[in-house]
Amino acid sequence: MDDYLVSVLSNIGVISFVALSAYLLLLTGEISFGQQAFFAIGAYAAGIATALWGWPLGAALAWGALAGGTAAVLVGLPTLRLHGLYFAVATLAFAETVRLLFEQFRYQVTIDGELVGPNGTDGFRGIRYIFENDVGSLQFLGLIYALLLAALAAFVLLERSRLGVAFRMIGEDATLAALNGIAVARTKLLAAGLAGALAGVGGGLYAHLTTYVEPRIFDVMLGVHSLAYGLIGGLGTAFGPLLGVLIDIGLLESVRVFAGYRMIIFGGLVALLLILRPRGLLDERVVHRIRRAWFRLLVRSHSTERLNRDLP
Amino acid sequence: MTRVRLICVLAATCAVCLPAESVLAQVRAKADVTCRPAGTLQYDCTIVLTNSRTKEPLAGVTLTIGADMPSMPMMHNVRPVKAEPGETPGTYRARLALEMHGDWALQLNLAGPLRDRVLRTLRFDPDRVMPATKAPSHKH
Repeated sequence: MDDYLVSVLSNIGVISFVALSAYLLLLTGEISFGQQAFFAIGAYAAGIATALWGWPLGAALAWGALAGGTAAVLVGLPTLRLHGLYFAVATLAFAETVRLLFEQFRYQVTIDGELVGPNGTDGFRGIRYIFENDVGSLQFLGLIYALLLAALAAFVLLERSRLGVAFRMIGEDATLAALNGIAVARTKLLAAGLAGALAGVGGGLYAHLTTYVEPRIFDVMLGVHSLAYGLIGGLGTAFGPLLGVLIDIGLLESVRVFAGYRMIIFGGLVALLLILRPRGLLDERVVHRIRRAWFRLLVRSHSTERLNRDLP
Repeated sequence: MTRVRLICVLAATCAVCLPAESVLAQVRAKADVTCRPAGTLQYDCTIVLTNSRTKEPLAGVTLTIGADMPSMPMMHNVRPVKAEPGETPGTYRARLALEMHGDWALQLNLAGPLRDRVLRTLRFDPDRVMPATKAPSHKH
């Protein structure tokens, strides 16, 4: 496979994690501009684990997820009492604080005669796990999509579970959800923790994919994009944010005529969709229609098969 | 419960399947990159690759250069270009076509005898190229 294609597909896979993370919070009705902070925490944590502590990649990614999830719970404790704009501003402020803290964060170790580790604004270079362990770019792409598939499978199970219903109920009306016996604060905190962990995994993958991270990578631009993917793709299903990522990185990237105007097109697309389809392309109604059509198709094929079998 | 177990098994498989031992004592590449404007959003770059330990020039490697904007990670993916070997050993030349001016993280991907990636962040202005500033400077 072409190196460029592998690189674009890897980017689509990695950014999908942070898009899914923002989507999970959107399900509970909260708009977060700060998911890039947990992506950053996951990236630094996983990078440190492999580059400085010599951990295997699987353990490092789990550590990144744990760090991202824990940070999200800690932030969620005071901020999830806020709603709407106040919550959005609080998450943005937190994300910027994290970015500025990483600009001050220095933790370097001499490895093989060279200083390796986070070095403030210079960033964290030398996350060379894939080169030191001879992991090919295709292999790494496979890992990204295996984890993404696992995340999507977890989302599908979540949507069918009581917890998924609780998330959507809280997103629709928190007061009504509380009246129905749902522990709103605890459920939202769980959603925040899961979203943080998801962003943390994405961050860990990103750090190992690019082999370096620096604080300015995790600025508000990444947060806005991750939120916009859900709003473009749709909030009816977990495939919505992925559709948003595909439209932005896949379509606009492959059609090079948009190069340079991409952000204008992207911004315009978000504005247009917010007016025409406030819950995105794959909103609940569309997802319901697709499911119903799929079910009908299944029933029809099943009955035709049965009829053919019964006929002499 | 079965679903939870399935997810745990999947996660554990991912963790176990990946290599655990890190080979730290490997040859690493060091790169000096100089670029100059060669047209609208086009830049001619000269890359000098050396062995970071022995300081010897790294000749005979396949070098491709990609670029990504740190302020918009993964959003602008410049199609990697293959660098041509220069006159002196360890020297390579390539022409980059960027999408806009600003700070770009150049990804120097080495393949062949040595597989490595070196990153250099540079600021590409219309008339010159210089090392990127890490944080905006404030003048009062």
